[in-house]
Amino acid sequence: MIEQNLNVLVVDDEPQILRVLRRGLEAKGYQVMTAPDALTALDMMKASRVDLLITDLRMPDVDGMELCTRVRKSSEIPIIVLSVKGDEATKVQALDAGADDYITKPFGMDELLARVRALSRRARADADAPETPLAIGDFEVNPELRRVRVRGNEVHLTPKEYDLILFFLANHSRVLTHRAILRAIWGENSTEQPEYLRVFVGQLRKKIEHDPRTPQYILTEPWVGYRFKPEP
Amino acid sequence: MISVALVAVLIAIRSRVNLTTVALLLILVVTAIATWAGRGPALITSFLTLAALNYFFIPPLHTFNITHPQNWVAFAVFTMCALLVGELSALVKKKAEEAEARRLKIEELYRDLQNAFEQASQAETLRRSEKLKTALLDAVTHDLRTPLTSIKASVTALLDEAEVTSEADREFLQVINEEADRLNRFVEEMMSLAKIEGGHLLLRRTPTSAEDIVNNAVDRVARRGTPIETTIEDTLPLLLVDASTVSQALFEVVENATKYSPRASVVRINAAQRDRGLAEISVENEGTPVPREFRQRVFEKFFRVPGSRKEHGFGMGLAIARGIVEAHGGKIWMDAGRNDRGTVVRFTVPCEDHA
Repeated sequence: MIEQNLNVLVVDDEPQILRVLRRGLEAKGYQVMTAPDALTALDMMKASRVDLLITDLRMPDVDGMELCTRVRKSSEIPIIVLSVKGDEATKVQALDAGADDYITKPFGMDELLARVRALSRRARADADAPETPLAIGDFEVNPELRRVRVRGNEVHLTPKEYDLILFFLANHSRVLTHRAILRAIWGENSTEQPEYLRVFVGQLRKKIEHDPRTPQYILTEPWVGYRFKPEP
Repeated sequence: MISVALVAVLIAIRSRVNLTTVALLLILVVTAIATWAGRGPALITSFLTLAALNYFFIPPLHTFNITHPQNWVAFAVFTMCALLVGELSALVKKKAEEAEARRLKIEELYRDLQNAFEQASQAETLRRSEKLKTALLDAVTHDLRTPLTSIKASVTALLDEAEVTSEADREFLQVINEEADRLNRFVEEMMSLAKIEGGHLLLRRTPTSAEDIVNNAVDRVARRGTPIETTIEDTLPLLLVDASTVSQALFEVVENATKYSPRASVVRINAAQRDRGLAEISVENEGTPVPREFRQRVFEKFFRVPGSRKEHGFGMGLAIARGIVEAHGGKIWMDAGRNDRGTVVRFTVPCEDHA
């Protein structure tokens, strides 16, 4: 699929990575801008339209985390952070700071392109219809009756399960941290543990997944949270 | 002894010395004894010399009587002087001893302080060197990962290109891709091991279900056509562990088990409560059994069982698993498999205590 007119800004202090990502993204039709540091990136964002941001986390002076925070003050564009493996705490921090997804270095170009595609699709959908879409992928929602259909079949959900699936649908393709989900469903002062959420997600999977043991819609992001894909 | 010798000499020459000289010489003896031997001996000497003075030198001689009033005065003055001098000398000696003890105490304290300073500076040096090691390791990892990221991204972009049609070209690209992954895994394992050995393992223990840990580990294992069967005891309480690292430990054990399994044979993972507050996770394969003498050594880094197939491994996996398990206060060991087929690696980790 060729993506037209989508401006992607890539921020990394490693010139080789910028070179490779520029080529790889341009080959798929994206308009690519690159910045060697966060401050240059912020300047570029003021000067031109950026539809999607890809940033390294570890950079001198202003790091990727701070860049996410600053961008989120004025923009809702999708942000993908590039991180190193095993640093779940940093990933969670970046996601809480406003990133939508993360990808672990080293990564395959196909993997990055898939994430970019998913997030740009949802960004476009948001722009077209700012209110919560009622039909996404395999899911249809009737908010008046609080009913949900998956692959055309109605599923019976408890009120909390309904809230959760609505939250997932509204934030599909994003990585949602345990804390973000717990806050959204159980309120700002929720003291529930990720363990509780796991049980809850397990129940929801039984109702919506083909095979709850190999989920296609609610994907686990180990030790970080969940990612909802509206279609396999 | 000195006083007896002096008294003897004085008796011999008593016709030539007067009573005052005798008394002064005897006081000198008392003073000397008080200085060297302290108050007790000085007092005894005082009484002995008093008796000797009276008996041998104060007329009438060889009696303890004193007839002349002047001699009474001399005797009384001698007595007082002897006692006073003895006492004062003893006091001086005691003070000197106290001063010496204080000096020794101060010296000891000074030595302690010096040792403490030295130890503190050694600890500081060690801390700095550990910090340096971590920083160095971080830098090396970053410097290795960055080119790996460029290589991996480039080669996967090429593999995705429809224009690369030659089978040989695709094969070359695949080799680059696989070797980049292998090198990355090596960097990861080195980093994990260095973290464990340097005591930098950051453990965030939270109650986690064994299911989460097992599923995560199993998802990461390259199957190589080996089915993995999992049994988790229903009543197993939540594990009190750092989920991500224990999952890595289990992954290393399972990865090792599948690597040394015959094709299509089953690897079994079992998680159950072993004791109150203690869970045991075991991983069993049907491969060639590890001889008894190597069952402990397999957890040493870079150790390979002699004669085993050289697989794509670095001999770090089980060492990493041991490091993680031990950091949680658990134990890891290897047993022979059922009916002496294959091997079982078992490890324990803390779990909630519901009893």
